[in-house]
Amino acid sequence: MEERFGIPEKLFDDYLLFSRKKSWTLVRNGPHVISASRLKVAKAGLKAFKRVGHFVKPTTRMIQTFGPFATKAKISINEVQLSRLLAGEQFPVHLGPDQGYIILTLEDGRILGLGLLIKGTLRSQLPRKEVRQSMIGEG
Amino acid sequence: MELIFENYCDIIPDFCLFQEYLRKPIPTHIRINPLKIVPETLLTLLKEKGIHLESANEKYDTLYYAPGLNLSGNLLEYFFGHVHPQALTSCLTSLALSPGHNTYILDMCASPGGKTSHMSQLTDNTGLIVANELYPTRHFALGHTLDRLGVFNTVITGYQAQEFPMKHRFDYILADVPCSGEGMFRKTREGSVYRETRGKVSLPDLQKKIILRGFDLLKNQGEMIYSTCTFNPDENESVVNFLLKNRDADLLPIDVGFDYEPGVREWKDETYDKQIQRCARFYPHRINSVGFFMARIGKR
Repeated sequence: MEERFGIPEKLFDDYLLFSRKKSWTLVRNGPHVISASRLKVAKAGLKAFKRVGHFVKPTTRMIQTFGPFATKAKISINEVQLSRLLAGEQFPVHLGPDQGYIILTLEDGRILGLGLLIKGTLRSQLPRKEVRQSMIGEG
Repeated sequence: MELIFENYCDIIPDFCLFQEYLRKPIPTHIRINPLKIVPETLLTLLKEKGIHLESANEKYDTLYYAPGLNLSGNLLEYFFGHVHPQALTSCLTSLALSPGHNTYILDMCASPGGKTSHMSQLTDNTGLIVANELYPTRHFALGHTLDRLGVFNTVITGYQAQEFPMKHRFDYILADVPCSGEGMFRKTREGSVYRETRGKVSLPDLQKKIILRGFDLLKNQGEMIYSTCTFNPDENESVVNFLLKNRDADLLPIDVGFDYEPGVREWKDETYDKQIQRCARFYPHRINSVGFFMARIGKR
């Protein structure tokens, strides 16, 4: 997270990372975690990362929480661009030669989640079932 | 006009007004999630969209009615995890418990996770909440709610609430038990009478087992909330009275900033302990939300 997004490692000092089959969850550390480890636990904390092919991808919810601390690989889009991404479109963005996962924010700074930048073209990595066209401009 | 829940006409005050409110639509209520946004900021952002929220109570900066907003789940703010649609009375259980920071908490029947996430909010994501839900099919919804709202201080387990392992002791316990759901009538338009008729285990029997196990899992000086969304004294006062008879429990006063009626002292042939009056009955015509019952229980 620090290498890719500039999110300081020390932010995670208070957390424990648990590995599952193809994902990792993040739990707030504290004295009660040891006690709870004696229980049969179905899920611990927030799903933070998942394995996608050879890569480890942060989840939308992980990025929404820690994204505000990112100092790089971050881009602001407007609602029209968001709508295009949700429709499955890809469009060029100018971020130099950088490639890989990129944090998407709205113009007001709120973190949407991740996009994927390949050869200067941005595509959505937002969960389609959770963010819908109908949500944009709702009100 | 056909009376609804006629058998409660002697215990529900202002029964005519109660009937009137049962026939009114329930107002949309949302809880702002300060784990992910400052409430004031969200209010400003929604106002810019033309969405005006009305404070449910000046005491809380996170509880709002959303008049004119039918589907708060269709807001981008829902996706962001900034808001959670939750009945006002449902929010009051977590507020009545008010778990402290860095404490060990058990939510005995946690799905779909509204109250669990609210407790996480109240503890500022500190300590640990064991969110127990028997049915694995409900774990997905529970986990999704907690993830969306940015909750990091929970673990999900799948025990039967009444048989939760005794090797732990908790500072706070929420027992929002399975019930006949009469208080939801305005929402569901189903005047449910009793699930017993569906061939399931007797609800009061199950509720009594859960309340005892919950109490036994408390640390000394620990606190527990027993709650239902039903008007039925058999599932409310009778269950709490059963606890008082069988354990050295105290009923503690409830102050959540909303009017409620005290627990009933008599029902059918039973007279309950004097302490029962400390229970809280929230009626739709008093609080304009779903009907709710809660008891705040302390362990000496």
